[in-house]
This record gives sequence, structure tokens and C-alpha cells, in this order.
Amino acid sequence: MTEQKERSTGDIIHETENMSCPVQKAAHYIDAFLKELMCGKCFPCALGTHEAAIILRDIISGNAANPDIDALRRITDAMLMASRCKKGRDSAHIMTELLNDPAFIEHVRGRCPARECTSCIEYRIDPDKCIMCGDCQTVCSYHAIVGEKKVPYLSGYLPFEIASKRCTRCGECLKVCPNDAISAGERKDIMVISDS
Amino acid sequence: MRQPEVTMSNTITVTIDGKDVQVTEGMNIIDASEKAGVHIPNLCYLKGMKGIGACRLCLVEVEGLKAPVIACNTKVKEGMIIRTKTEKIQEVRRFVIDLLLSMHPLDCMTCTKAGICNLQQYAYDFGLKESSFSRKKFGYPTDEANPFMKRDPDYCVLCGRCVRVCREQGTHVLDFMGRGIGSKVVTAGDRPLQESGCTFCGSCVDACPVNALVESDRRHRGREWEYEKIGSVCLLCGNSCNILASTKDGRIEKINAGAEAGSAERYICAYGRFGFDALDAHSRVAAPLKRINGELRVTTWEDALETVANRLKLAGREAGIISSAGITNEDAFTLRKLARDVVKTKNVDSTVGLYGDGDFFISSEKADIDRSDIIVLIGLNPSQWERTLPALDAALRRRVSRGAKLIVIGESEPRIGEVATVSLKGDVMSLLRSLAKSLIEKGMKADGKFRASVENAEVTEDTVKAAAIIAEAVEPIIISAPHLFAASANLALLKGKIIAVPLESNAKGVSLMGLISDGKSYGDMVNGKTALLYAIGDVPLRQRPDTDFLIVQNAHLTPLAKQADVVLPSAAFLEATGTIVDYLGRMKHLHKVVEPYAKSMSHRDIFVGIARGIGSVISKASEAEVRKACRAKMKIRFSPFGQDVSVNMSPEEFIQTINESVIRGSRLQWLEETEGAVTA
Repeated sequence: MTEQKERSTGDIIHETENMSCPVQKAAHYIDAFLKELMCGKCFPCALGTHEAAIILRDIISGNAANPDIDALRRITDAMLMASRCKKGRDSAHIMTELLNDPAFIEHVRGRCPARECTSCIEYRIDPDKCIMCGDCQTVCSYHAIVGEKKVPYLSGYLPFEIASKRCTRCGECLKVCPNDAISAGERKDIMVISDS
Repeated sequence: MRQPEVTMSNTITVTIDGKDVQVTEGMNIIDASEKAGVHIPNLCYLKGMKGIGACRLCLVEVEGLKAPVIACNTKVKEGMIIRTKTEKIQEVRRFVIDLLLSMHPLDCMTCTKAGICNLQQYAYDFGLKESSFSRKKFGYPTDEANPFMKRDPDYCVLCGRCVRVCREQGTHVLDFMGRGIGSKVVTAGDRPLQESGCTFCGSCVDACPVNALVESDRRHRGREWEYEKIGSVCLLCGNSCNILASTKDGRIEKINAGAEAGSAERYICAYGRFGFDALDAHSRVAAPLKRINGELRVTTWEDALETVANRLKLAGREAGIISSAGITNEDAFTLRKLARDVVKTKNVDSTVGLYGDGDFFISSEKADIDRSDIIVLIGLNPSQWERTLPALDAALRRRVSRGAKLIVIGESEPRIGEVATVSLKGDVMSLLRSLAKSLIEKGMKADGKFRASVENAEVTEDTVKAAAIIAEAVEPIIISAPHLFAASANLALLKGKIIAVPLESNAKGVSLMGLISDGKSYGDMVNGKTALLYAIGDVPLRQRPDTDFLIVQNAHLTPLAKQADVVLPSAAFLEATGTIVDYLGRMKHLHKVVEPYAKSMSHRDIFVGIARGIGSVISKASEAEVRKACRAKMKIRFSPFGQDVSVNMSPEEFIQTINESVIRGSRLQWLEETEGAVTA
């Protein structure tokens, strides 16, 4: 018997409650499943979930296309019908439900509606709210924030800007801004290609 | 509680893909469909073993059941309606094959499994050129440090057949490491095979559906579709396993096990699988040899046969003829004609006398290991590791794994005792008497003389336990070492079929053909003086016996042949057609796989030639003559519990000696040179 208590499917889903993006939820579930729950005794589930993990990683990093979502659906359908044990079938149910969320298709277009997948979002500083205090620049370890700290009673300072090429969306600046001027938004450089 | 697999004879009707078919109740759906001519795709199913449902390819839809079921593990019932190819199921199969292709090297062009590869076949059936999933590369190192088998984990589809086959037969060399897609079939510590207790029997090679486990030299030996497959029998030891030889352009390229799929006897050892190299070894005798001025010189068949004929004619009644029991029935029968009718000597005997008695093998009964539920093993130590009767070891272990029970009786516990239900250790005669007494006490019928002989035998808890098991058996078999046959047969008088297992492949056959001496015995001729000695086949002799003229008729130039006056080259068993009677009483057919080497001839052709030289015409044994001789029966009778036959060579030594030329002349020699490899 295992030394530490094995997580159940319910436990793993519970862990994803504070995530909003269904793709992130799915990826977390699959990774946990592969590490612990999966018995690995049948092909559709053992090989299928491994493949699903790869596809989900691609979707999160914005490198996926529509056929990848169809592939995910193929995997979950097969797991539902052909899995050797209940864990495989339960996982298939969970994944199918998550897949129904339109967010998956949005990710293929480069957008994460829940603004959680870092490769689909861009951090922006609202120029109206920025007080040029420089706190964000101090915590940014990637030197992605451009701007001069305002000295009191002097003028001519411009709102700070985030160099999106350097920004890794680590989220540190978001936390320290006293005025909530930094927010995650859609990437402006992604071209929206029509559904093919 | 596992039930032994005694086939139930209930026939039922099921409908498979719209066709009604009669099948045996209790069969699984895959086997039942085979009868209907429908193949259900599978990768992890092994006939004879319970289905494990790992690959999920064999899913079928059964009317009345909501979800599809796996055909490998579902038993047929009367009236079942089965559909094997619905759209849903085909989609799952296509999906699984697609996934497997994504982790499999796609090189059917040069792959040696092309033509018999299950994965290739299914990819073809589903029209899959390449995988639609991401390509996975493993880069596992191969294990090819031995000259027998190559393990290439990159090709492995993780079906588990090799692991299960190796475990069921008791060698347990292979197992899974890790789980899911990262799992790998490995030996203990991932060491090379020769350091893992592997006996190189090749059962895993026969089981593997892809190119992950193949013969080492398979690469250069042609493609599967170029092969002609010829079934025959291996005559290297008393198991006489069925083999399937693949030939191309008149040469043997590989040998596989030939017994029926699903049988516990489907096995051949390294000797049978790889010994065929020796067919053109340096030790093969290419032409007749005659000793001239103290040296063996090549001569013609005409000259050799004339010399031998004259010498035999001269010796007449004083001639001594000894034969190996590893020759075919036809050869043995023709030899007897030559000896009795032409040379007119009574001194004809086979090597059977070295480990048993011809009468024992004649009275040995007929039995079917696949149907037995209780097996009693007396005085035998069949061992795959020592390569003494390895197929018997594997078959018995498989039977036990499939539900049969094993009882072993011996002076020391044989290795197979580890899977026995009861192990009786001690003086075999006392144990047999105790067991007989326990059986009689359980109600088995015995005559007065029998009862009297065991009256004062001591009954122990174990013998009572063993007797209880045997009493409830449906088809018990008693397998005995030949020298203990007479006493063991007494048990068969109470219950069960008695089998004597010889060390040589056709002991029963040559005895039925009459190679039992009316004059001098094998021992007499070899240990005493003879005017002429004619030795046929692989006899376990190294020193030339005391004789004035020695004729050796064999395929290889053995140490004995080197001391002969005339050497007659005979065809090896793979170069001959004929029949034998195996230890279970079955007549098995050998088919010529390749032409005889150089100028060698079959034994019977040589005998006919010698007869002609003496001035008599004898014909080769006909099928009718052989069949008639095989019909001879000898009933088992009660004999007092005492050992009749003395054995002076251990079974391991015996089998190694008679096969020395094959071992030295093939890649099997490597076993003796490699430290740690499992040798005999």
C-alpha cells in the first residue's frame, strides 16, 4: 500500500478550484493523473493521457491548432469506452466536461479568456493609474519595465511601460503596484485567424 | 479457487458477425471467433492464458450488454450475439493503433518482422500511414551481447506477452519497469540476458508480435515471405518437441516452436532452436571414411558399403549392433530387418538400456498433458536451466499455473518442486509403497499380492494428502523416471496413466520396432569383447570398446568415430523424413527440412545398401509395417517395489554427451564459454 494517501479524482479537481482557465485545470488534472492515479495497464488511457498532456502543454503555450482539440476529444472518447478501470473512465468524464468549454477554441486563437495562460496574455500598465512610483521596476527581475521614477514636485514624467518582449508574466509587478495600475489583457500582436 | 482446465465437451451455438457457429462452452470469444473464421485484433492476448485486457483492441459488442467487452476474457454462452466490427469499436482500434504508431519506429522497409508483424497488419487494415499524434522517441540501447536473441526496446509495444510467457514457464527473466508510456521490459537490474538467468529458449521471441525480440542473426536471413515453413520434430532429447523450420534456398534460416498455440507443450530449448547451425559444422562427415594404414581416408560409398557388408557377413552371429534411440521408426525397423534377416545376429540393442528398459517404454501409456489435472512426478528432475527435459519442466509449470496440481516424489526435491502441492522426499520405493497404501485406503482397488506388499508400509500425513488429491483427480498422469517405471506403474494400476520419460527422443519407437536384444545387451557389447561392433547414431561412447572392427554410422565425426575402422555419414534429423513415437505415446512426423549434407544418406538407405552388399534385398520400412509395429501393446502388471535398472550416467551428462557435436558445432558453444550463462 502507498505510504502517503493517494489523491482521488475528486481531490485533484478540488485542487483546481482556484483556477479559472479550464485548460489549466485540465493540464493540472492530467499531470496529477499521470503521476499518481493512472494504473498504466491499458493502452487507451496510459498512452492517451500522455499524449493529452503534450497537447495541453501546446495549447497553453499557444502552439496548438484546431485539430489538436479534436485529438483531445478522440482521446477522451476512447478512454470513456475502452478504459480497463473506473479511474480511466472517470478521468474521461472530467476531461470531456472541461473540453466543452469554448475557452479551448479561444486558446487556439491565442486568447485565454480567464487570463491565466501566460503565453496568451500581456501585462499592461494603465497610464491613467500609474503614479510612477517605481515599485514595479524594483521587483521586475527581467528589466521589462521602462520608465523613470518620479521625483516629488518635479514634472515631465511619463507613465511606465512594460516591454512585452521581455515580460515573462511572472506576476510580481501586479502584486506590488499600490494603485492597481497593472493588469493582464489580450496579446495585441496575435493575429486572429478565422476558424479552419 | 482456480478450476483446472479440463475441456468441457458442451457444444453451444453463438452468432458472430451474423454467422452462427458451433463452439465449445467456456471458450473465450477470441478463440470462438477463430472457429468462425473471424480474426479479432489483439496484441496482448496469448492463447492458453487468461486474457488481461491491456491493449483493448479485442473489444466486441455483445447484444444485451451496454458497454463493449474484451473478447479475450469473456466466455461464450449459448445464444450470445456478438459483433466484432461496429463503428464505435473500429474507431477505438484505429485510435489505439494510431497511438502505438506514434511511439514505434516506422521502418517497415528494413524491419525483419515485416510480413508477420501484428502492428503492421493492423495499420494496414485501418489504413494508417503515419501517426496523427506527436512522435515519441526513446533511444533505448539494445541487448545483443549474446548470439541467440536481440532485445530492441524501441520496437516494444508494451503488450506484456514476453513477460507473461517467461513467468508462466517458471524462468521469470523479464518484467516491466515503470508504468504507462515510460515503462520498459527489462531483466533484473536491466542486465544483459546472459547475466539474468535466461536459458535462451526463445519462448519470448515466439510470443513477441513486433520486432522487439528477434533472433540475433535475423537481419541477414531474408524476409518472412521468402521462407518456406516446414513442420518437423526435434530429436535431441526425450521431449521430442514439435518445431517449425523456416528455409530459404534450401538453407535453414530459423527454427520456432511448432506445437499448437495454447498448448502447454509449445516450447523448444536453445539446443533445438539454435542447434541447426551444426548441420554444416566442421565435424560433419562429408563422405564415407575407411581406415587405411592406420589413418581414416575418404572413400566411395561403393567401397565403404562393400567393406562393411563383407565384414558383417563374416561376423554373422557374432556381430554386435548398437543404436541410439534417437533414430526414426523407419530407420529402426529397417535396421532390425538387416540384423535379423540378413546378418542374422541376435545382438541388436539400443541405448535405452542405459537408463531404462525397452519393455517399460512399450508399456508406457498414452496421455495428454494439456488435459491432465493432477500430475505425479517420480524420480525426475526436469530442468530448463540444466537443459534436461526442459520442455517437460516448462509444460508442467504452465499446467500448474493454469490450475493443475503437481505432486513430486524423489530422493531429493527437484527444482520444479517449488510449484508442487505435495513434495514427498526420501527413499522412493518406500514412498511409493506408502502412497500406494494410502490410495488403497482411499478405496482404490488392488489385488491380494499388491495389498500384501504394502501392508506394512508407513503412511504419513503427506502421503495421505497426496492420495486424497489423486483420488479426486479426473485425468491424473504419473510421469516416472525410466529406471523407476516398474514400481511407479503399480500406482497406475490403482489410478492414472503411467508414462516413462526417456532421455532420447524415440525410445518408445525403437523399442516398438524391436531393437531389444535377444542376445547380448548394449552393456554386454560395450563392456565385453565383440568380433565386430556397428554403432548407429549418437551413442554416448567416447572410448572404442574392445572389438576387432568398429563401424560408426553418424552425422558428425565424434570422438568415437575418430577411432572407428569405417565411418558412414548419415543424415541428421533435420535432413530426414520419418516418424517417431514420443514419450506420451503420440506418433509424430518428421519432414525433411533440408537435403542431406554432402554425401550423407539416411540410416535406412545405408541399411538397404549394406544388405545389397551382403547379397540380400530388403526394402525400407513401409508406413504399414511401422504402424503395425506401433500397435504392439504391453499391459502394466504388478511388480514388487524394488529398483530393477541401474543407471550409471546422470541425465544431464547423458544429454550433453549425445548432443556434444551439435553443441560444439553451433553457436551453442558460446554457452560453455561464457561465464554466468546458463549451461547444461
